[in-house]
Amino acid sequence: MKAHTAAGRRYTRRFMPTMAAYVVAILFATWAMKTWHPTGALLVALSVLPALPIIGVIAVIGLYLVEETDEYLRTRIVQAMLVGLGFMLAFTSAWGFMEEGGVLPHMPAYFAFILWCFGWGVAQCVQSFRDRRAA
Amino acid sequence: MKNRLKDLRAERGWSQQHLADALEVSRQSVNAIETGRYDPSLPLAFRIADLFGQPIEAIFLNPKETEQ
Repeated sequence: MKAHTAAGRRYTRRFMPTMAAYVVAILFATWAMKTWHPTGALLVALSVLPALPIIGVIAVIGLYLVEETDEYLRTRIVQAMLVGLGFMLAFTSAWGFMEEGGVLPHMPAYFAFILWCFGWGVAQCVQSFRDRRAA
Repeated sequence: MKNRLKDLRAERGWSQQHLADALEVSRQSVNAIETGRYDPSLPLAFRIADLFGQPIEAIFLNPKETEQ
């Protein structure tokens, strides 16, 4: 997402450290699980650790939508997010049934967020292309 | 929606960026409105009308009338 507005710049400033925290969290959690072989509450805490910065990213995205005062950019990004949502729901629905039929292997649930981001990103590329053509 | 934004801007010799700054929106917004790809909200349409000192209907053309 290009930062054309103050809200966009704030989004970038919040997104970068949150993603850095994700990298640290996943590296640490993987290392700790292999080294300590934790059980009980520690296992729960270490397993959920990488999800916390992801939840943070979702909050950062939500803050951007709340703070963006440029109605066109906000509408455009919400449309792209809806395309991402549709893609994610279609993909996971199809995958889920094929998984149940034994055609595909198990897909971890955290792929849902990745699929949503992918669909959102592709939709934004299409929007940018359309905008450049119309300009 | 068809509108006269580009003409009004050109009359004043303003760039899209200049108009965007005056309206406190992005240049992309101005471009999308000018090319009819985005219809502004009523508050933004009023800000545009105020800036050019004209009523909204003199800037944004009634779709019923432009169809004919």
